[in-house]
Amino acid sequence: MLTQQILNGLVSGSVYALFSLGFTLIFGVQKLLNFAHGATFMAGAFIAYYCTINGLPFVMAIGFSMLATGLIAILIDLIAFRALRKRGNAEFPALVSSIGVDLILVSIAQQVSNTQVLNFPFGTFPIQFYDVFGLRISLLQIVILGVVAVLVTALIFYLKKTTFGRQVRAVATNERAAALLGVNAQSVYLQTFFIAGALAGLAGVLIGLLFNSIQFLMGEPYMLRAFVVVVIGGLGSVQGAIIASLMLGVAQSLTVAYLPSGLTDAIIFGLLFLVLLVRPNGLFGDINAVAGGTRQ
Amino acid sequence: MIQFYLAYQPIIDFFLLAVGFGYSQQIAFRAGVFSIATAGFAAIGSYCVAILATRTEVPIFMTVILATLLAAAVGGLLALPLARLRGAFQAIATLAFVQIILSLLLYGEGFTGGALGIVGIPREVNTWILLLVVAVTMYVLWNIGRSGMGRVFNALRQEESVASSLGVNIGKYHIIAFILSGAIGGLFGGLQSLYTFQIEPHNYGFAFIVNILTVVILGGRTTLLGPIMGALIMALLPEIARPLAENRQAVNGVILILVITFLPNGVGDEIVFWFRRRKQARQQRKRASEKEARDAVTSS
Repeated sequence: MLTQQILNGLVSGSVYALFSLGFTLIFGVQKLLNFAHGATFMAGAFIAYYCTINGLPFVMAIGFSMLATGLIAILIDLIAFRALRKRGNAEFPALVSSIGVDLILVSIAQQVSNTQVLNFPFGTFPIQFYDVFGLRISLLQIVILGVVAVLVTALIFYLKKTTFGRQVRAVATNERAAALLGVNAQSVYLQTFFIAGALAGLAGVLIGLLFNSIQFLMGEPYMLRAFVVVVIGGLGSVQGAIIASLMLGVAQSLTVAYLPSGLTDAIIFGLLFLVLLVRPNGLFGDINAVAGGTRQ
Repeated sequence: MIQFYLAYQPIIDFFLLAVGFGYSQQIAFRAGVFSIATAGFAAIGSYCVAILATRTEVPIFMTVILATLLAAAVGGLLALPLARLRGAFQAIATLAFVQIILSLLLYGEGFTGGALGIVGIPREVNTWILLLVVAVTMYVLWNIGRSGMGRVFNALRQEESVASSLGVNIGKYHIIAFILSGAIGGLFGGLQSLYTFQIEPHNYGFAFIVNILTVVILGGRTTLLGPIMGALIMALLPEIARPLAENRQAVNGVILILVITFLPNGVGDEIVFWFRRRKQARQQRKRASEKEARDAVTSS
C-alpha cells in the first residue's frame, strides 16, 4: 500500500516536474514570474483534445499541441513581457501582465468548451495494467515516467552541453555582458519561452489523460503547485525543481492517503511557508540568489 | 438623484467595497511590499463577522471591530516571516498564505461551514455605511500619507537601500504596512459579509485577488484617487458595454496588459501627477516673473 502510494506520487510528481521546469526556466533566465504558465498547460490539454476528436492520431495530436503551446508561450513573451523588459525593473509589471494573459486564455477556453468538463474519447490510450513486484502500474504511468525522464535528460543536456544552452546560461547570469559578447538575448528569451510552453503543453495532455478530465480551470491548481515546487527547489534551479516535484508528488499522495484529505493544501502550502522562512533560496537553490536583503 | 441611486445601488455598493479592498492592497504596494494577501485578510474578516453575528450575541458593531483587529493581528504576524523576502518571493509567500486560509476554511466544516460557507448573516450594511467607512478610511490614509510615515513608505518603495541608509527601520515599517493592509482588508471583509447575506471560501480565491489587483493597477498604486478610479472603471465598464460584461475575465486581462504596458502608473495616479506637474510649472512661472519684476526695479 505504502509503496503503491509512493509510486503514484512519483508519477504525478514527474508531471509536476515537466510543468515546473518551464516555469523555473523562465524565472532563471528572466527573473520574472510567468503567471500564464498554468493557462499554457491548460491550452495544451485543450488543443490535444480537439485534435483527437477531429480524427488526428493521438501521437500527432500531442506533437501538434506541444508546437502550439510553444508558439502560445512565444506570443506571451511578445505581448506581455517584451515591452516591459525594455523599460526595466519589470518584476511587478510582468507579474500583472502575465495574469492578464492568463485571464484571456482561460476565458477563451471557457467559451470554447462551454464551461464543460471534457474527456478524451475512450480508447485514446490503451488501458493496460501490469503487476510488478506486487505493485499495480498502468501502461500510461510507465509511458509518463519514461517520457518525463527522457525530456528532462534532454533538457539538462541542452542547457549544459550545447552552444545554445551556454547562451541561455550566459543571458541568465548577465544579460548585458552576454549581449556584448554577441549573444542574441531576444532569441534566447524566445527559445526559453518556446521550451517552457511546449513542456507545459505536454504536461497538460498527460494530466488530462491521467485523470481523464479537461476543463478550463485546470491550470490554476498546477500553477499554485509550481510555486511550491520552485520555491522548495530554489527559483531558477533545474535540478532542484525536479527533486522538489518528485518530493511534492509523493508527499501529496501520502497526505491524501493517510491524513484528512481536506488538509492536503494547507500542509503543502504550510511547507512552502516553512521553507521560505528557514531557507528563502530553497533547499537546492543558489545561495547567492536574491530572495532576501534589500531590493536593488 | 434618488431614482439614480435606486437603479444603480448594487453597482455603487460593489464599487465602494472594491475601493475598500483596493486601499488594503494599495497600502502594501505603497510601502514597497509585494503582497497579495488582501484576499486572505478579507476572508478572515468576513468569516469572523459571519461566525460572531450568526452564533453569538455580540453586537454587530463590535463584530466588525473584532474582525478588523483580528485581521490586523494576522497581518502583523504574517509580516514577521516575510521580512526576509523581497519581490517575487513575497508575492509567492502571500499567495501561499491565502491558500492556507482558504483550505483551512474549507477543512473546518463544523466551524466555518466548509465549501457551503455561512448563510443567514444579518444584512446590516447599506450604501451609506459603506460610504462612511470608505470616507473614514480615506481620511486615515490621507493623514498617514502626509505624515512622516507616508514619506517613509514612499522612500521604501522607491529605493529601499537609500531608505535604510537614512536610518529607516525597514522591518518595522513593513510590519506597519501589513497591519494596516490587514486591518483595512478585515474591515471591508466584515462589511462585505454583513452586506451579501452569505459567504463561502471561493469568494476569496484567485478571482478575488485578480479583481483587487486590477482595481489597484488600473487606478494607481500611490495616490488615494487610484483605487477610486480603478474601481469606478471596473464597475462602469460592464454597464457601458453589455457584450463586455459577458467576457468580463478576458476584458480584465486586456485591461491589465494594456494599462501596465502603456500607463504603468495607472489612471488615477496619472491624473494626480498631471495636476502636480501643472501646479509646479505654475509656481515656477510665478517665481520667474517675480524675479523679472525685481530685476527690473533694481536695474532702473
